[in-house]
Amino acid sequence: MQPNNDLSLHRIMNTESLDSGLTWEVKANSSFYHKHKQKKSFLCFHWGRYADNVVRSYKYSPLTFLPLTLFEQFQRAANLYFLLIMVMQCVPIISAVPWYVTVIPLLSVLIIRGLKDLANDLARRRSDREINTRPCDVLVSQSFQTIQWKDVRVGDVLRINKDQVIPADLLLLSSSEPYSLCYVETADIDGETNLKYRQALSATHTELTSQPSEEVLSAFDGVVFCEEPNNRLYTFRGQLQWRGEGFSLDNEHILLRGTVLRNTDWAYGLTVYTGSDTKILRNCGKVRVKTTRMEKVFNRLVVGIVLCVLSAALLLAIASSVFSTWVMSHTQFQSVLVVDDNPIYTGFLVYWSYIILLSPAMPIALYITFDMIHTIHSLFIDCDMEMYWQQTDRPAQARNTSLNEDLGQVGYLLSDKTGTLTQNHLLFRQCCIAGEIFGDASVRAEDVELMDLGWNPYSCGNLFMSAPMLVQRLREDQCPISRQFFTALALCHTVMAQWTEDIPVYQAASPDEEALVCAARELGLVFLSRTRDFIVVSELGIKRQYELLAVLDFTSKRRRMSVLVREPEGGVKLFCKGADIVILERLEEDCPHLDKTERALELFAEACLRTLCVAVRSVPEALWGQWRKTLTKAATMATCDRDALLETLYDQMETDLLILGVTAIEDRLQEGVPETIALLQEAGLKVWVLTGDKKETAINIGYSCKLLDPEARLLEWQELREILQSSDPQISFLKGRQTDVWAVGKESAGVKTSLVLTGPELAEFDQRPEWEPTFMKLADQCQSVICSRVTPAQKAQIVRLVRKHTSSVTMCIGDGANDVNMIKTAHVGVGLAGVEGGQAVQNADFALSQFRFLQQLLLVHGRWSYRRISLFLRYFLFKTCGFALVHIWFGCFNGFSAQSLYERWFIAFYTVFYTATPILCVAIFEQDVNAESSLKQPELYKCGQTQELSSPLMLLSSLLYAVYSSLILFFIPCGVFYNTAFDQQTMAVTVSMAATFIATIEVILLTRYWTKINVAAVCTSVVLFFICSRITQSAFLFQRSPIDYSFMGVSEKAFREPVVWLTAFLTAWTAFLPSLTAHALRVVLSAPNKHKVHSVSSHSVELQSKFRRRTSSHRSSHQQRM
Amino acid sequence: MVKEELSTENRPDNTAFTQQRLPAWQPILSAGIIIPGFVLIGLAFIGIGVALLVTSQSIQVMEIDYTGVDQGSPCFKCTDSTVSNCKCEIEFTIDKLFEGPVFFYYGLSNYFQNYRKYGASKDASQLSGDLDYFTSPATECDPYIKDNNDKPIVPCGSIANSMFNDSFVLSRLINGAKEVVPLDGKGISWWTDYNVKYRNPSITPLKNAFNGTVKPINWPRPAYELDTSDPANNGFINQDFLVWMRRAALPNFRKLYRRITEGNYADGLPAGDYSLEITYNYPVLSFDGRKKVVFSNVSWMGGKNEFLGIAYLVIGSLCVIMSIVMLIVYAKFKFPDED
Repeated sequence: MQPNNDLSLHRIMNTESLDSGLTWEVKANSSFYHKHKQKKSFLCFHWGRYADNVVRSYKYSPLTFLPLTLFEQFQRAANLYFLLIMVMQCVPIISAVPWYVTVIPLLSVLIIRGLKDLANDLARRRSDREINTRPCDVLVSQSFQTIQWKDVRVGDVLRINKDQVIPADLLLLSSSEPYSLCYVETADIDGETNLKYRQALSATHTELTSQPSEEVLSAFDGVVFCEEPNNRLYTFRGQLQWRGEGFSLDNEHILLRGTVLRNTDWAYGLTVYTGSDTKILRNCGKVRVKTTRMEKVFNRLVVGIVLCVLSAALLLAIASSVFSTWVMSHTQFQSVLVVDDNPIYTGFLVYWSYIILLSPAMPIALYITFDMIHTIHSLFIDCDMEMYWQQTDRPAQARNTSLNEDLGQVGYLLSDKTGTLTQNHLLFRQCCIAGEIFGDASVRAEDVELMDLGWNPYSCGNLFMSAPMLVQRLREDQCPISRQFFTALALCHTVMAQWTEDIPVYQAASPDEEALVCAARELGLVFLSRTRDFIVVSELGIKRQYELLAVLDFTSKRRRMSVLVREPEGGVKLFCKGADIVILERLEEDCPHLDKTERALELFAEACLRTLCVAVRSVPEALWGQWRKTLTKAATMATCDRDALLETLYDQMETDLLILGVTAIEDRLQEGVPETIALLQEAGLKVWVLTGDKKETAINIGYSCKLLDPEARLLEWQELREILQSSDPQISFLKGRQTDVWAVGKESAGVKTSLVLTGPELAEFDQRPEWEPTFMKLADQCQSVICSRVTPAQKAQIVRLVRKHTSSVTMCIGDGANDVNMIKTAHVGVGLAGVEGGQAVQNADFALSQFRFLQQLLLVHGRWSYRRISLFLRYFLFKTCGFALVHIWFGCFNGFSAQSLYERWFIAFYTVFYTATPILCVAIFEQDVNAESSLKQPELYKCGQTQELSSPLMLLSSLLYAVYSSLILFFIPCGVFYNTAFDQQTMAVTVSMAATFIATIEVILLTRYWTKINVAAVCTSVVLFFICSRITQSAFLFQRSPIDYSFMGVSEKAFREPVVWLTAFLTAWTAFLPSLTAHALRVVLSAPNKHKVHSVSSHSVELQSKFRRRTSSHRSSHQQRM
Repeated sequence: MVKEELSTENRPDNTAFTQQRLPAWQPILSAGIIIPGFVLIGLAFIGIGVALLVTSQSIQVMEIDYTGVDQGSPCFKCTDSTVSNCKCEIEFTIDKLFEGPVFFYYGLSNYFQNYRKYGASKDASQLSGDLDYFTSPATECDPYIKDNNDKPIVPCGSIANSMFNDSFVLSRLINGAKEVVPLDGKGISWWTDYNVKYRNPSITPLKNAFNGTVKPINWPRPAYELDTSDPANNGFINQDFLVWMRRAALPNFRKLYRRITEGNYADGLPAGDYSLEITYNYPVLSFDGRKKVVFSNVSWMGGKNEFLGIAYLVIGSLCVIMSIVMLIVYAKFKFPDED
């Protein structure tokens, strides 16, 4: 091609491509051109366009680690606060306590955090290096050379071998397979393990597969114009300009980084995006940080404490000024009491000194300990054998380690249905062909007598349906319609076949399809393989090859899929399968067996089976020709409204269908679902089911999993709407309940009502936002809410509705990609690792394998976490405030001079050594009742929902208690030492001893679960106090630094004084008395009642569940008739 | 389908710790334990309280305010700050034998020895005998680092400068004649203070160590001449100095002045008339302070301290009352029908 020509063409295309947004330009085999434009940066300057293929997920370099980690850590308000305090302590004139008192806790916090970040970063670096040094083959001057991933550049032509991971986003040029198909596994991207196929343009396929490929490939000089790098995994828009022709490119031609090449010997690709420009890396968006309700309350409280400290310091400073003025007017000497003879200035300095002195009231070590506890609680979740699912070898997983205590406060559980309540392990149980029903779903799958399918070499024996009649008909070819029915199942799908030992193993995107194709295989119509243009099927031993003309793919909007094939005999046929509604409205007029089919559909729905209608159409050749033309035209349109056109086009083809039959697939409830739901409802959770299924199926599942009481009144949209529109919804709601025949008593009426809504009905809320609060109020009084036919976006919207109008913690559980939105929206998202891909798990905060593990997660781990963390927070608040606020009272007795009452080392060690480990043990080991009893007494869970242990009032009472104990801590020793010969340092040791005692007794009272470690922690803490006191007050250290160890010899003498011990004991006991009394009163008041409640509740549950089981079948059939 | 061997690679460790099944003791508090517990603890506290009170009652204390606020009081004449070397004499009577050993304290009120800047105003290194700090005392000593002639003050700082400098002579009046009661000033300070914390520089004579320094402004004599009677009791290890340097906890305090352990008075002060001659130097009236002398004997629990005994009694009774309240509440809840 002439350079001149090239240039002009270039210009034209540039303008064209700019118009359509295709501004990313990739020239094949011209790595020099791209290298020139590679992204580079120096300091904060960046230039260049194309990213290199190096993954840099690490944050720190040796040079930047220290400044960066410090910068990150000081973004936390608490750390910054303490840094300021420390800086203030370095100013001698105001430093009430020396700087190293704060530096010990602060440094330990910074170091622990820093080391954790560093370890994470090193791990990231290691994995980066591992990725960056992976080998791959790149075409350099007519031969392939092995280079590392990091050296791959835009415009390179790569060779990918079988089972290799693809290093960058590639445009597929050709592959070893016919038509340059190639198969990829996208497990890393969307978690789906089935194979997907990609296909090269026929132009590149035909031109570039000739041998020797190296030569042809290095001569390839196409230019790709495409979108700027973006994070849309499933779309790609671009154009290949080659030899003067433009070929439009879409997602099907692209091999994404991170996918694995399967079943294909090799594939050639042109690198389009590298490194940070690739779709997968663009998708690594930041995770939204979820914080727990308790943490928010606590943060507010900490701000409150800081404000209180500041105002207390202000008051003390004013008092100090007044005192200084008084001193000035009265005395000539002792002038050291007034700085620069200026009372105001003295007060100003004292203000800062008091801020320093009172700063320990702000719990610095709290946040780091909080993190630690969360991590350990998450570890417990990860390690719980009760939540380990043997069959998939998968333990539970706490992916977000900071939401543990929210698990103990969940008020609303919003659950997906398919795959969550049900197994999503689908069994083909029944079918209806030409109005005749085969199989019996009332027999349990395990009890079905397996048919002898020995005549079929491909049978695996996993068909749980007994219909010898059907087999006979098929084998003797008596009934063409049943044969056609199964042929349709064998043809109409997007399943891939993989051969292992002469048996095809099917890789399907949806479990429904797999079940259908497997069923057809068992009955002798075996799908053998697929290429781009052909599907090979063995029909009762005879291989037949169908030419695949078109696939009218499945979307959730269309709710059906079809294939257009040419039979070996030559006729064109359309096989279609889909939801009953969409298929039934597309049938030809006077379709036979319609009544019987509809009856069968009803029966199947009653039995909670998933149904699909299968239909066929013989397409006249003329129609096919015409349709094909339009289709090709549409395909080249490459515009956004292509989709709309395709839809109408598909619609035209899928008409005049002839119904073949109905398939009925059983989606069995997961093990323990009804029990779990009943238990959670007893625990006070409101369970809502949000599903995309149809209303009848949803309601039936609701009955079978005991979400709906057989006696409950179902409140549907019509009625609900009237209630919402009425002037006083509450009254009309009650009225409606009273007229209800099933409602017996007024009180129980509310419990026995369930709301049943559908997606389109919910959409009305968009127009009437004023209904929302009323709706939530009504929903609150209902036993359960079922929303069917909701889209993923609506699921999230419902969660948002609940979050907005209640203060409860919401939890969402789901297993599929359609649940991701709601999982992300809820306070706590749980993903079930199920049959559908891993997207839900990847976006969830907790991953489980079975729905029933929720009881263990919520009632055991959640409740414990909530209890432990509430106790921990309240105790922490108490111990730090109680110990620091003493200085306020002491101030009144030392001329408001910010004199410390404690030895400086005591202040430094108190939170870290003397009182930290026992409460840490409580926060780790505490159990008020064991796991079994937690599950037996679900009502215990309500304590978290009502925030019994962590309400602002409770936190405030802890604060008040701290103030009280600080008063006692000062005034009892003050009373004892007033007007005596005891010196200030002896008093300091006495008060510190009392403070340590109070903290210890309080934690002893809190601990209900005494492991050996608890005992050891309590003992060592107290012993440590005595040992450390003796060490810091030893002559040895004093001689090293007289100023820092000025308490030399004090404890030695004080510990010999009976008065010191008596005072410390009295102080500790007096401070502890209210806490003990409150506790004792609680025990005394609750002891006689508790027993009664338990025996009654467990009894009634037993009765109820029996009753429900007996009546459920009756009720569901009744429902169906309505 | 061939059933695969189930892999157990990811099975969590089944240990007591990870499964949260560590063996533990779970004490369950019930009313049956709590109520008697409260009674027992209450009784124990009452017992201690009674013992303390009884002990405290047996301790004799005599407190004499000699500030001289009233015009009629003997020391009123000394309150005028212009008078120097003022002496006054207070007479008092002891009705019955004041059992020994008798401790002789002086007490100050409204005196903020625990003021932070006051307390910090000393140089620990200087006081431990480091000669480097004699020439350049630490800045904490401000404003008593150097005198007007820029000579360093030793010992520097506010505490030392404000050392209590009244002195007392106690005499017993026997038939009008005075018999001086011998006062023992040895070992009234802390052992650690005397032996470790405060050291004189190892230069003899001690006076040479203080070359080039000046005495604290308010002191009548330099540090090496604090006790003219006993050359060993001088410098920084002077007992009175040590007692003063150990700061009081609260604005009302006592400090040990002497002990009465010798001669005829080893068993205590016999009943009779006594006279106390006071060399009145220390001004306290300007800041509404009071000066006292206190005679007291001690028991196992130290000096007289009724507060502690009463506090124990109060808390003990509170516990008992609480237990009674709880018993009533418990009875009401347990047998609600009987009401």
